[in-house]
Amino acid sequence: MLKYTIKRILWVFPTIIGVLIILFSLTYLMPGDPASAMLGPRATPELVAALNERLHLNENMPVRLGYYLVGIAKGDLGTSVWSGHGVGSLIAEALPHTVLLAVVSLGGAAFIGIFLGAFGAIRQNSPISGVVTFVSLIGVAIPDFVAALLLMLLFCVQFPLFPALGAGADGDIVDIVMHLILPATALGIGWVGYLSRLTRESMIDVLESDYIRTARAFAIPRDAIAYVYALKNAIIPTITVIGLGVGKLLGGAVFVEIIFSRPGLGKLIVDAVYARDFPVVQGGILVATLLFVFANLLADISYGFVNPQIQYD
Amino acid sequence: MIKENEPLKAHPSSGQKIKEKVKAALKKKHGDETDEDENANGSLLEVSNLTLDYHLGKRKMRALDRVSFSMERGEILGVAGESGCGKSTLGLAIIKLLPEIAKIRRGEVLFEGRDLLKLSEEEMNRQIRGQKISMIFQNPQHALNPVFTIEKQMTDILKVQERYKNPGSLKSGDFFRDQAIERLRSTGIADPTARISNYPFEFSGGMKQRVMIGMALSSGTSLLLADEATTALDVTIEAQINRLICSLAAEYGTSVLYVSHNLGILSEIADRIIIMYAGRIFEIGTTADVFDTPSHPYSAALLESLPSRQARGKRLLSIPGIVPSLDKLPTGCSFHPRCQFAEEICRREVPKLKFVSDGHLSACFLDVKRGRQRWKWI
Amino acid sequence: MQRSRWAKRQVVSSAVLKQRSNPVNSDATSHSNKSPDISGMRLKPLWGDRIKITLRSVVKIKGGLMGAVFISIMLLCAICAQWISPFDPNAQEIMQRFKGPSFTHWMGTDYLGRDIFSRIIYGCRIAVMVAFGAVSISSILGVFLGVISGYNEGKKLDYFIIWLFDIVRSFPQIILALAIVAVLGPSLVNVVVALAVTAFPFYGRIARAQTLSVKEADYVKAAEAMGQKPLTIILRHITPNIMTPVIVCLGMDMATMIIWESGLSFLGLGVRPPTASWGIMLRNGYKYIQVSPWMILWPALAISFAMIAFSLFSEGLRGALDPKERDR
Repeated sequence: MLKYTIKRILWVFPTIIGVLIILFSLTYLMPGDPASAMLGPRATPELVAALNERLHLNENMPVRLGYYLVGIAKGDLGTSVWSGHGVGSLIAEALPHTVLLAVVSLGGAAFIGIFLGAFGAIRQNSPISGVVTFVSLIGVAIPDFVAALLLMLLFCVQFPLFPALGAGADGDIVDIVMHLILPATALGIGWVGYLSRLTRESMIDVLESDYIRTARAFAIPRDAIAYVYALKNAIIPTITVIGLGVGKLLGGAVFVEIIFSRPGLGKLIVDAVYARDFPVVQGGILVATLLFVFANLLADISYGFVNPQIQYD
Repeated sequence: MIKENEPLKAHPSSGQKIKEKVKAALKKKHGDETDEDENANGSLLEVSNLTLDYHLGKRKMRALDRVSFSMERGEILGVAGESGCGKSTLGLAIIKLLPEIAKIRRGEVLFEGRDLLKLSEEEMNRQIRGQKISMIFQNPQHALNPVFTIEKQMTDILKVQERYKNPGSLKSGDFFRDQAIERLRSTGIADPTARISNYPFEFSGGMKQRVMIGMALSSGTSLLLADEATTALDVTIEAQINRLICSLAAEYGTSVLYVSHNLGILSEIADRIIIMYAGRIFEIGTTADVFDTPSHPYSAALLESLPSRQARGKRLLSIPGIVPSLDKLPTGCSFHPRCQFAEEICRREVPKLKFVSDGHLSACFLDVKRGRQRWKWI
Repeated sequence: MQRSRWAKRQVVSSAVLKQRSNPVNSDATSHSNKSPDISGMRLKPLWGDRIKITLRSVVKIKGGLMGAVFISIMLLCAICAQWISPFDPNAQEIMQRFKGPSFTHWMGTDYLGRDIFSRIIYGCRIAVMVAFGAVSISSILGVFLGVISGYNEGKKLDYFIIWLFDIVRSFPQIILALAIVAVLGPSLVNVVVALAVTAFPFYGRIARAQTLSVKEADYVKAAEAMGQKPLTIILRHITPNIMTPVIVCLGMDMATMIIWESGLSFLGLGVRPPTASWGIMLRNGYKYIQVSPWMILWPALAISFAMIAFSLFSEGLRGALDPKERDR
């Protein structure tokens, strides 16, 4: 496994280089004059010239790429054209909110989904199993941003129960939680459906296996079999999926942040796109992508810990 | 073990030896009481008229049809037959691990006087499973949970049993660990103290089966159900495991219901044998009786079809036709379409087990006193 | 006698299983084992046969049938939008703004007084165009690259293509699409292009994995021995035999594309107004969420309908194409 891990990690580097090249090309390929596009209607010839100078836009491509890569290596992601703040600091400010949202959504969905699925497998005739099917259908049918809109419609406008916008006052836990509930639900509901169905199918499979039959032959009590013996086997595929889901969550988070006006990486990127603030766009996408790559790497590696067989292969 | 040119027959010596060993073990257990009378009171296991169906969609497959037999303490009863004859179902029915689609229509399973079929699931767990009656299965590869250590699996079982036997007892975790290690040692696993912390995938097939035997057999076990326990193992390991089962069973006085399609093994280790076909018992008797003088055409054919050195160069006998589907059994004797000696009555009526000699019964209409020579299959 | 409830699904003894399964299953020769006649093999009959068999099996599975029906409804709306919709989707009636459902306007009106029902139908057209367009481009591109990569396993070309796939896959999909549209400017075509670009690596990976196993088959080796050109081999022998998982993926992918188009349009980075796309309708609805629930509700339901349609259909497709699931 060590060899596999090392190879896996090494492959990340050429990938990231490719990512950087593509990111860079995006700005390069943009039609028209980047500087005036960024400055928009404020563009006067002097400002355009100054911007060109600052961003090394007058050099040819390899040189610009060089400046860009060097900047990245130094940790400098550029400066926001719009606000003048360093891109790095803007991202650092926005990121924790996104992470919080992602963790709460995915964590909550995993918790609820796994137990729902386990219940559904054990009591296949009870209403719980029906709930599992129903929720999983909803999860499939309603994508996260549509769910966010519907939730907002229902619980902020029609029945004003939850605050609609923002992340809540700093330091006020209750307020933060209130602001988290709807966005997290919107993001999580698709996952609850999917995870519960996956867990249920996996559990049903496991419950039919020989080793569960052995446990029953030795009088292990039903609950212990279900929630200890069977579950640990059944959640292996689920955990793999969760690991990969972090990336998909980032995409969904973009919409949820916009809809609920929550600060976060997604909102930062999209607002920057509206404002043609390309350094921020580049930096934001870079960070988001790095997170995604890192999450996939972690998922691949941590799979080995859940499944002891892989460890020694 | 089997000499050249010698036709397959029972080895009465093994049966005797086991009986002696069992007597000695039981004497140790019960002191000097007249164990003979005590145990003669009732057999360990009496199955009467057990009939059960599998419901697959609209089809009803009769997996067991009026199966009746008994088992004494300390004996090894072999159950032989082709795949699909119901021998595995029999074991599962006794310990009540049948799938939901199985419905028991009739019959009783009297174990030490109590009808197991009437016990609730909770009672089965509390008193019977793992304690008085244990079962080991065919494929040791998958019989152990892959994500837990052997230690956890064994100590969990021991803890559960302790809780059932002495509720409220407070034994430490170490106690169970030691007990588990002792069990492993008794099954011949080397260095059990180290190996107990391993995961199942680090064990070979034979070792896994030893672990299963260790879990299943203890001094309190009265009946061991062995469902093709060695079929999935290499031949050399097979011999070792069977020897292990026999010696441990003798030591603890455990009876064994040994299900197998391998007549060779059964000839060596079983005291008595049941021959099953399509859910019915065709013949039952001591191993010597059934192997030397099979009374039923099917048993004779089975024995005849085994390759032996005598028949070298000659064509192997195979019984024409195929085992009937359990939802479309033939009328009368379920074997009659394939039987060379079938007569009109075989088609009309179902044969019941008839007396052939002392302890030897056979379910065939034709003159059952005929010996093996009569059932010469062409 | 209390039965353990969850013994229900325990494995039935092998004997019973044996008697249950069909001894002879002519369809069991799975696609990859089928050795087509090399010399006379033409693509057309092969495809025609497969499509017929597949469709028949899909319809047998009830979910697939429902999905197929739903998709047909969507296609109908898309193609015949002009004849089905009662109003011109861009016709504004300011006096009728924010009305709820009524006899004239079945789904109510939006903030400019336009009929929502008509806009939904036209939005269906956009959704279908984007879904089919993006999926066709990405699948063709992805499969093509994937097969080439798999066929040249281990060589530099293979590594290069894998590298390409991994780079694109490293981006969270929606963010990449966002960036591309941001660069190219919002329009229907650009949306299709952006979505196609983000999706092709998935087809590529599937195609490559399948190619790796198929290329060891005897008929491929025979074709090589006969000296057929690699391109011919790829087109005639390999590609048809790897299509099964690709087709299943297609089904679900179309649903995903519809969602993303809506998402991008919702952000204002998709189709340009006043074109009626469900995403744009959601965007407008969001602006006026306090005023009219109908502007959000109907597009949301429409998107869900599309999702369910494609999910059911692709589930049915998967069940039909999986040789184990047939003949139940």
